[in-house]
Amino acid sequence: MATAHATAHDDHAHGHVGLEYHPGLPISNGKLIVWLFLSTEIMFFAGLIGTYIVLRFGAPTWPLPHEVHLSEPIGAFNTFVLICSSVSVVLCMESAKKNNTSAAKGWLLTTFVLGCVFLGVKMYEYNAKFSHGIYPALPHSRIYEKANLNYASAVRLRLEALRSGLDAESAAIKERYAEDPAGLEQNADLAEINERLALVSKLTADAQAVETTAATANNIIASRAALNGLANKIMPLGHHPGDESGDAHHGLNDEHPWLKLPIVIPGGNMWASTYFLLTGFHAIHVIVGLIVFAMMIPMTLGVMATGFIENIGLYWHFVDLVWIFLFPLLYLF
Amino acid sequence: MTHHGHQHVHGSMHDDAHAGDHGHDVGISKYIYVFLALCVLTGASFFTYSSLWPFHSQPAIGWTFMMAVSCTKAMLVILFFMHVKYEANWKYVLTIPAAFMSLFLLLALVPDIGMRSRWTAEERQQFMAEPRDAGHGEEHPEEHAEPAAH
Repeated sequence: MATAHATAHDDHAHGHVGLEYHPGLPISNGKLIVWLFLSTEIMFFAGLIGTYIVLRFGAPTWPLPHEVHLSEPIGAFNTFVLICSSVSVVLCMESAKKNNTSAAKGWLLTTFVLGCVFLGVKMYEYNAKFSHGIYPALPHSRIYEKANLNYASAVRLRLEALRSGLDAESAAIKERYAEDPAGLEQNADLAEINERLALVSKLTADAQAVETTAATANNIIASRAALNGLANKIMPLGHHPGDESGDAHHGLNDEHPWLKLPIVIPGGNMWASTYFLLTGFHAIHVIVGLIVFAMMIPMTLGVMATGFIENIGLYWHFVDLVWIFLFPLLYLF
Repeated sequence: MTHHGHQHVHGSMHDDAHAGDHGHDVGISKYIYVFLALCVLTGASFFTYSSLWPFHSQPAIGWTFMMAVSCTKAMLVILFFMHVKYEANWKYVLTIPAAFMSLFLLLALVPDIGMRSRWTAEERQQFMAEPRDAGHGEEHPEEHAEPAAH
């Protein structure tokens, strides 16, 4: 009786029920499972982020952000979006606790929209990389680590492929207008193809000259100067971090996007592998969160749903947490 | 005993209603303060990118600063948004071993991966990127002959 009395007293002191009334932990089973899952997620992302840090600092060199078309302001904006969405999840739970279902629904929708905005911005960013030939792997990746003979011959091969493609197109148009020489003369497509062919021929000659110089030069300085010159003409590398105008936008590949010539980005391959792996896994987590939020939209978000909202909220905050580390590591380091 | 029974029922209802945070009413204003702090801290790490940041020539200072800012942001999110501040001691059981496992994993990678460019075959060096100061520039091409061992 004395024990029972003491326990009751204890309850009053802490304002909640003593542990002996609950078998196991003082949290719901759902929340326990979410926390167990999150602790495995901590290890998963710590593995990815840790590997990135170790690879990055063990690398001989690493690309500057604008060389790989990373925009720091866009990254900061996305960080802000995720922070806002974290707040809206908490506010959704608070509204649900007060049984204010319409406010809770509003905050849920806000979170959903913010998550979609994050993904949209991510897609835009991915597209900026893809359109410049920055992929994590072949066959799409056009990144070379160094301007060497291997690179020069890759440029020449690409130009040769372009030329045979353009020749074929030109032949097809000429065949179509075989009985209409006047129409052929006015064909805008053909004029453009001819223009492109002229450029390709000129560049092929340049690339061949560089290859010859590099292969036959007696000293390594002349050889490397020629090769670096070729790489710089295709995509110049900047030297100043924070210089937004960067030279990266004045290369042949930017003036004529159809050329799609191989590019030299020292450290670019490792950068692409780690960037796409880290942001890709993070984006998958965002998508999973959005699917759950979408499933919650038809639900009544009252007091009874609080536990569920808390659980998905924990997951969503974790996704935000990962981005809090990814943003400086990927954009600002 | 009846008193106890009553408490039990009341207790579980209470728990269901406030699933998890055990009756501590975290005010909305607290969330707003945390939100503002997070925005300011994001601005702080973004500041290292701006031209006003005085340590562009010493990147290690910026890295340390940004990691400190990120850890602070992470603590704010964990403590307040994830309510860990108000949880019972089970939180340590789940988070601390996971954090240690992560740290060990990171350290285990250093010898093989982190120091990989200290021992590279000559064949590999032909295609490997070079350190920036030695690399691009036509200024110091003769440094090419040195192995990339930084």
